[in-house]
Amino acid sequence: MRPVSGSQIFASLTGALLLYLLPWAGFGLMLRPDFVLLVLIYWLMRAPHMCNIGTAWLMGLLVDLANGDLFGQHALAYVLVAFLAVHYQKRTTLFNQWQQGGYVFLLLLISQIVLLMLELFGGADVPGWDYFLPSVVGVLSWQLVVYSKIKVTGEQEA
Amino acid sequence: MATLQHQEPPAFFVRGPSPFARLIFFSMLSLALMVVDARLHYLTEVRQGLAALLHPLELLATGPLHLYRQISERMRGIEALIHENRELRERLLRQSVDLQKLASLQHENTHLRRLLEVRVALQQPIRLAEIVRAGRDPFSHRVIVDQGSHQGVLAGQVVVDGEGVIGQVTRVYPFSSEVTLITDRDLAVPVQVERNGLRAIAFGHGRDHTLDLPYLPVNVDIREGDRLVTSGIDGIYPAGLAVATVTSIERDTNSPFARIVCTPVAGTDRNRQVLILTALRLENTWLESEDEHRVPSAQRKGGRRHASR
Repeated sequence: MRPVSGSQIFASLTGALLLYLLPWAGFGLMLRPDFVLLVLIYWLMRAPHMCNIGTAWLMGLLVDLANGDLFGQHALAYVLVAFLAVHYQKRTTLFNQWQQGGYVFLLLLISQIVLLMLELFGGADVPGWDYFLPSVVGVLSWQLVVYSKIKVTGEQEA
Repeated sequence: MATLQHQEPPAFFVRGPSPFARLIFFSMLSLALMVVDARLHYLTEVRQGLAALLHPLELLATGPLHLYRQISERMRGIEALIHENRELRERLLRQSVDLQKLASLQHENTHLRRLLEVRVALQQPIRLAEIVRAGRDPFSHRVIVDQGSHQGVLAGQVVVDGEGVIGQVTRVYPFSSEVTLITDRDLAVPVQVERNGLRAIAFGHGRDHTLDLPYLPVNVDIREGDRLVTSGIDGIYPAGLAVATVTSIERDTNSPFARIVCTPVAGTDRNRQVLILTALRLENTWLESEDEHRVPSAQRKGGRRHASR
């Protein structure tokens, strides 16, 4: 496996933020996965010595800023997820593809639940089940990335 | 399983603080930020500065859509344009007749006001803005428009379209500002039933683009199809702007209050161009002094109960 460079991480995170900033509306907004968190999880699992909890926190702040939300709520959710991802990083390298998908789904769900709890403290109403759709879409797009990577790196290793 | 193989072992002695220490540190930092932002409002300038930094990225993200719109506008045939032009001309003619009446009415009104020695209502300067994008938070109903503090927009200004009230400017950034829609949970609009002058306060429902009229007794004189207009008693919304029509009334005898649901008149989720009105009374400076970016009628839940001044 090729070593990871910092610029690679930076570029992919900027790209994810750009995807997040696209003018989503209506149905698309309901389905939109959390691109930033997905990319973060990928780097946290692959290169925790370069992309750590601090990176996750910074990206969370940027997302908060883009949303015009309370400062720090995405940051907190991302930090919690990043901790789990880093803490179990050694174990996740042993997972097969499906276990890994489930694990990522769990992480995405955790971030959404943290955000939901913060919103509920702020006095929001309980949203419908479709609130969790972005996690489902997120894990599907994760699988997409995994498949494409297999094609890319599988040949190199064979 | 090719994505996540063992990364190179990090250097032995420069591992930094443990993940758990980092977790505690950054969680505390986020919690502190949240408290400061929600309760103390110190971060307005910080937010504005950082938003300006994020602006180019946002432009890049919304660019393709703008390009698409421009191209599709160009591609529309000349036939359609002629047709639209004719229609607009017709509408202009019809409305200019109304406008002539308005001039004489306004004249009469100022005359009457002078007779009554009432202060002359200020003319409302109007600013056209375009909605750049809808908010990204599923919990709140907000849109971002392309006019900001550089163009002289202030927090608290009222945003309308051709049909009625859309919302209120709640946050101002250098090149854009955030408009909270009347369907947002946190926005309250003082309204009046056009038919009989009954005063009430309309709260956004937060979901499915409707408004609620809470705290009205079961036997209140209100009917389906009643139009609600702004009452103007808060000094923020000018009087007489259309807000919503009543769509359903549930009179449950178990509860002292009727459950009244209204739908907004204005296209809160349709239009692209909106108008920003300047605040009604300029001497109302308590608005700025009390709170910079949370305006009185957009208070959080705790403040709602007192909103019916």
